[in-house]
Amino acid sequence: MTSAPRLWNLVAELTYRCPLRCPYCSNPLALRDFPEQLTAADWGRVFGEAAALGAVHVGLTGGEPTTRRDLGEIVSKAAEAGLYTHLVTAGLPIDEAGLAALATAGLRSVQLSVQDAEAGASDEIAGTACFERKLGFARAVRARGLPLTLNVVLHRRNLARTRELIELARALDADRLELANTQYQGWALANRAALLPAREQLEAAAQVVAEERALSPRPEILFVLPDYFRERPKPCMGGWGRTHLVVTPDGRALPCHGAAALPLEFWNVREQSLAACWGEAPGMNAYRGDAFMPEPCRSCPEKARDFGGCRCQAYALTGDAAATDPACALAPSHGLIAAARGEPRSEDWRYRAP
Amino acid sequence: MSTAELETRLRQILDERYHHRHPFNVRLHGGTCTPAEVQRWIRNRYYYQTRIPLKDGLILTKSEDREFRRGWIRRIHDHDGDDARTGGLELWLRLAEAAGLERAEVASLRNVLPGVRRACDAYVEFVASHDLLAGVASSLTELSAGPFLGERAEAFRKHYGWIEEAGLEYFLSRTRQAPRDAQEGLAFVLAHAQAPEDRARCAAALTRKCEILWALLDGVEWGGRIPRLAPAVLLRPEGEDTLAVLPERAVRVSANGREILAACDGVREVEAVAGAIRAEHPGDERVERDVYEFIERMQSLGVLELS
Repeated sequence: MTSAPRLWNLVAELTYRCPLRCPYCSNPLALRDFPEQLTAADWGRVFGEAAALGAVHVGLTGGEPTTRRDLGEIVSKAAEAGLYTHLVTAGLPIDEAGLAALATAGLRSVQLSVQDAEAGASDEIAGTACFERKLGFARAVRARGLPLTLNVVLHRRNLARTRELIELARALDADRLELANTQYQGWALANRAALLPAREQLEAAAQVVAEERALSPRPEILFVLPDYFRERPKPCMGGWGRTHLVVTPDGRALPCHGAAALPLEFWNVREQSLAACWGEAPGMNAYRGDAFMPEPCRSCPEKARDFGGCRCQAYALTGDAAATDPACALAPSHGLIAAARGEPRSEDWRYRAP
Repeated sequence: MSTAELETRLRQILDERYHHRHPFNVRLHGGTCTPAEVQRWIRNRYYYQTRIPLKDGLILTKSEDREFRRGWIRRIHDHDGDDARTGGLELWLRLAEAAGLERAEVASLRNVLPGVRRACDAYVEFVASHDLLAGVASSLTELSAGPFLGERAEAFRKHYGWIEEAGLEYFLSRTRQAPRDAQEGLAFVLAHAQAPEDRARCAAALTRKCEILWALLDGVEWGGRIPRLAPAVLLRPEGEDTLAVLPERAVRVSANGREILAACDGVREVEAVAGAIRAEHPGDERVERDVYEFIERMQSLGVLELS
């Protein structure tokens, strides 16, 4: 149906520590179950093995990766392995001197999160005062000539400021702006009533994006209507175990950051080679290709585009990870999504906590 | 909108959007274009000249009126020539020769830049896909062409004396033909655009044509820009190919593409890159076109930056 699995992108979750407390955090709910156990030397070995498997990109992420004191060493090991080093950060606790050290170590590009277009709202979502500091960090990234992606998770509290977010990205000279609609898993699923927007909000935001794209090619804007409102599932991770591999702070190798919650056997890079973790672990092979698919997915021509959607979402909402993603209007369980769209909304959320 | 208001509206569109305001034309007439830029414009604009008789042939097929066709077919003779007269296409090739270009190279169209090609093809496509009234309305840029071409001939004499006077015959012949064509076209549009929606369609057709002429000059300017590998790009081997790696993206490039990327050295202009690749592949008809399309694609993917 599609090309054979090829590891293109290694997602290195260096730690789950984070100074922010965003209520839609994609990290596991049980953060304490994932102690930070991989040393810089371990990561160096993982990077070399990933490059040998064909990986091109490494995303250095978390949690907040710049809470690690040995980040410079980790970056230089990734660069030595020939990987394209991409830092995914909240912009703190790192400072300009820290950025300079990472650039010297071989850092090639930066993705910075902001939570909204102005300090008050952004800091309220982050659960800590950090907006001004993020702007300073963004300017430092561009001053060094590094490519900058600005990432904003969208939800009902900030969708109305889509235009201001685009203007902010432009003012910061960002190359790309990811307007990432909240994925309702982990903390975001727990806070869904406070985050899930109304359809009209999304349509207005889509219109703004179209207008701003016509105005200027910069920044490149990524905006996709969320699966809750599209009647079709998202092509999650480009397919299970097809192009991406996530390694958690304790060394588990997963097809995506949410898969640890599934009742599957994944392997650990401290015990197995990365090639074995990627190619042979039962969990990695559980949903590769289309053999696992029930109808209506198995005979659906769209499976080549959406790979059957998101296994974690299927598990979280139906209890069966092999089920058709409820986001699809053709799924027997689609009523769960339709019901969520109509649920009463809430003003209260629960911040991420360790 | 009355008939008089329609004419006012059409002239207003031309005043605001005709390519006399395009920065390239402003420089061309102001005398600050380099010889290479003047040559680039002549070489590329020839593609537009070749599309005009095709466009006029399409317009002919849309009319059931013998008198209309007798009048309009003259435009094709004006460009292609006949037993008595030298046509506009031949005069343009003489302009090219007078400007130091090779006739055969210009006539081959192989060096036409992609933005220019798209703009000119869009004009033919517009006429093909619209009715007679919109097609004729789109030709009304000729209302501005007469005076504009007189000004152009003067500018060439004054600023680009290295082009021989004999080469300017095209402009002089069009200063005679364009006003006549324009008056006929305008009379047709004013007579046939009676319903308000038809008048709006005529204004839209002329606006679209102005956009096309504008895009043509953008396309000409692109040929003088200087491509270089974007600083964010990491090149690495991938089997016999090369991967151009960027944040969140990797672009597979063949050995031919790699050769073009290597020629994009941050010094050469787009056209000079094509010239360098042409020198390595003298027998290949499509070299320039392939190079231009590749550079455009790499620009859109962020692999190349053009300054």
